[in-house]
Amino acid sequence: MVTPEPKLPSELPITQPRYVGKDSPRMEDPLLLTGKVEYGNDIRTPGMLHAAILRSPHAHARIKSIDTSRAENLPGVAAVLTGKEVKDWSRPVFGVPEGWTGYALAVEKTHWVGEPVAVIAASDRYIAEDALELIEVEYEPLEPVVDALKAGSASAPNVLEGKDSNIAYDRRFVFGDVDGAFASADLIVREQFRWHRSSGNPIETCVCIADWNPFNGMLTLRGGHRSPHLILPALVISLGISSQLVRIIQSPLGGSFGVKTFARYVVLIALMAKKLGGRPVKWTEDRIEHLIGNSSHAWDRHYDCELALKRDGTIAGMRMQLVDDLGAFAEWLAIGMLLKPLLCLGSCYHIVNVDYSCKGVITNKTPQGPLRAFGLPPHFWVIEQLIEIAAKKLGLESNEVCRRNLIKKDQFPYVSPSGNVYDSGDYEASLSLLLSKAGYDELRREQQAARAQGRLVGIGVVSSIEPGLTGPPMLALASPRIFSRTSSPEGILLRIDAFGKIIAELGFPPGGQSQHSFVRQILADYLCVALEDVQVITVDSLSMQPSTGPISSSMAIALSGAVLGAAARLTDKLKRAAAVMLEASADDVELFDGQLRVRGVPGKSLAVAQVAQFMMARPDLLPEGVDGNPQATYVWNPPDRTIPDEKGFGRYSVTAAGAQHLCMVEVDRETGQVKILKYVMVDDCGVRLNPSVVRGMLMGGMAHGVGTALLEEYVYDDKGQMLTSSYMDYLMPTIMEVPAAQEHEMCTPSPIAPLGVKGVGEGALHTTPAAVLCALNDALEPLGVRITEAPMTPLRIWQALQTTTSHQTKE
Amino acid sequence: MAMTRTIKVRVNGADYEGTAEVRKTLVDFLREDLGLTGTNVGCEHGVCGACTILMNGEAVRSCIMLAAQADGAELMTVEGLAKPSGELHPIQESFREKHGLQCGFCTPGFLMTTYELLNKHPDADEEEIKEWLSGHLCRCTGYQDILESVKLAASRLRNR
Repeated sequence: MVTPEPKLPSELPITQPRYVGKDSPRMEDPLLLTGKVEYGNDIRTPGMLHAAILRSPHAHARIKSIDTSRAENLPGVAAVLTGKEVKDWSRPVFGVPEGWTGYALAVEKTHWVGEPVAVIAASDRYIAEDALELIEVEYEPLEPVVDALKAGSASAPNVLEGKDSNIAYDRRFVFGDVDGAFASADLIVREQFRWHRSSGNPIETCVCIADWNPFNGMLTLRGGHRSPHLILPALVISLGISSQLVRIIQSPLGGSFGVKTFARYVVLIALMAKKLGGRPVKWTEDRIEHLIGNSSHAWDRHYDCELALKRDGTIAGMRMQLVDDLGAFAEWLAIGMLLKPLLCLGSCYHIVNVDYSCKGVITNKTPQGPLRAFGLPPHFWVIEQLIEIAAKKLGLESNEVCRRNLIKKDQFPYVSPSGNVYDSGDYEASLSLLLSKAGYDELRREQQAARAQGRLVGIGVVSSIEPGLTGPPMLALASPRIFSRTSSPEGILLRIDAFGKIIAELGFPPGGQSQHSFVRQILADYLCVALEDVQVITVDSLSMQPSTGPISSSMAIALSGAVLGAAARLTDKLKRAAAVMLEASADDVELFDGQLRVRGVPGKSLAVAQVAQFMMARPDLLPEGVDGNPQATYVWNPPDRTIPDEKGFGRYSVTAAGAQHLCMVEVDRETGQVKILKYVMVDDCGVRLNPSVVRGMLMGGMAHGVGTALLEEYVYDDKGQMLTSSYMDYLMPTIMEVPAAQEHEMCTPSPIAPLGVKGVGEGALHTTPAAVLCALNDALEPLGVRITEAPMTPLRIWQALQTTTSHQTKE
Repeated sequence: MAMTRTIKVRVNGADYEGTAEVRKTLVDFLREDLGLTGTNVGCEHGVCGACTILMNGEAVRSCIMLAAQADGAELMTVEGLAKPSGELHPIQESFREKHGLQCGFCTPGFLMTTYELLNKHPDADEEEIKEWLSGHLCRCTGYQDILESVKLAASRLRNR
């Protein structure tokens, strides 16, 4: 089926789009601004109990006994759930590759500090937490595995029972003639890099309310679930429940950033509901639980990389070996974060010979989980740092090396080493725009002047690409059985009601991405009605069309496709009904400016609402095949994706947005504190449906990237104890750390995606850490110091400064 | 059993009386006992600022205060900003116009701090605004549009 999609906003059936491509007030805002929105934690259902979770204080320990009797006897406590029931009633939580997870609750041993050990349900949260203290658990501590590089050795204890190693995934992908490229190179640079784990930290934590009715078997789940389509298979697999008995009612999300799948906890609270036999129970995660136990940590990586270049700076080849500390389980789709770099191995550079190895290792730390940008920020950082190192050795300006290797405008559509296709772009123009808008030459002069005064000022200029709409094809490399699919369905139902108003039903909830607003903008232009005449709602999992939800910079692409497809189908119905009213042939009727009109016959036209009302009023007059129901559904799927072959060659994503960032920083010699002096971005995400919304995504992603580069880190000691379990230790960027960035638009419309859009939710986070970290190393260059570890916290920088001081003293 | 207290508060101009355990936090009292769920809980340890409300005109973190401490106080929450007719407060209007929110979860806290700031310092400059907002975390917006929202609100309130 071919989607009848306008390729550009100008092709919408309206003289001039009034809303698409323009700023427009968000329909989400009034409730959010007045405190009237109903987030998951605002929901109370009759008879609802409250859950609290007892968590393991040990990274690795055998559970010798659990005594819950005192907790059960506390007035107000309704039930206590432990590993025994969880083992009897469920299967281990879902994850790929299969077989590398445990149950939703520790059964015989615990695998990380913070792993759930028991759940209490009580009449209120205070009593539930009191009862946690009355559970007596006897642990036998075991040797923890905390060093990912040693976890794979034969002497390391095995984290998971029944496994004979801690290596969950180990795969090498070679594209092109890498050995040949290295053999004929003029320069080879080699460096090791370390990227520490951080996470999304939405300000709203996870909430789940489960109600498992023992009489009709229905499991009803409420709360902030970002995508029922993604959670449902995990529930079916773990709980053994029939899918038609699961109803997920989604609340708006207070942010997700990948975190709000939390399938492990949905399974766990569902099991508690099962034990409660028909009483609903709510779990609201607290921040400490979120930080230590959410399975949302991401990217704990050790890189060993080599870049081969010609004397003129042309990149001949790249070798990248990566070990990622997955934590205790290969849970959910976390392994995909090791595979996503395959989509864009060379970033926005033309690198044809690439050797990429990735190893996912199991340790006694919190399991990784999906995080916005899904594994790409470290990849782009490493590439940019390698180029900088090489440029210095070649005596070239690193910008010049970058520019020389950028994929050229006439190479699009560009087939990357792995076969993935970048749809459009003009990276040289983007880079030129960035440098001119930032006043690059002047900034370099300022830097020289500052250095002459002994100040540590540095500039980073980096590029990246943002693959839009990835998903199953990539995951097929971890589990062909489950993910040999090219689909990522996104569906809507569109209807016109008896009063001629437009209603669209989506399958996933708002969470900051403004989808209700832009769906309204598209429909208001398509049908030429006022914004106020369009209603957009999210429906529950039993009512929705197949929907993937906002993953992987997909939303604007997939949802535009769904809206336009449904609008086209509805228009087809309206045309055939209008043909009856206008006494014309349906083939001669067209929709334009909100009128069904007979082509070439001025004056013969009817408004959309009029035709819809006629359909509902006079089904007896409608032609064969047209019912009295002005509604249509459409499920959009990405075109042209393929399932990768065994070498990893395939077409994985739909669009490729490009980003170029410049960052200028100053480092305080005494304290190691970093100040961002200037930040400029150019982003080419194709057509912008709502420029303010896009700008918001970019600014927010940049802020997240600043935190990732400078502050945010989950720190474990050598026993696997987490040392950063509150916001006093896990540092989130505030308005004081995040710079006032400039943002400039480039636009090469996607030739593939509807309306020319590209994904944009992750691009700034892909790019900002590399920009900040390259700028920092540039600042430290006069001292002869290079930090190859992220985040570069003030402490790390201060320590590096100390080594140079002592070095200098010795000399 | 835990001790309870009778707590009388005036919230957004209306008088409430309720009984709460002495250990109950103010935010839980507002949300659970008074049904004012507009105030959100983000970290429960006084860092993120999402739960900020006004107590006797001053911004406080309702997650690290006990309900009993608010006995006799006059409180204002996000529900008190807009008029029941549906008219938004100029601060809310400004956040809407300048795209000062995305998911909206941190927003009530930002609005309440802004309310106190602009009451006390209607001419606040950019540095002062940043200082006041530095106790609030927002993960979506990158803060810049929040800053612009507050600046717009300040100028509107000055010219009212």
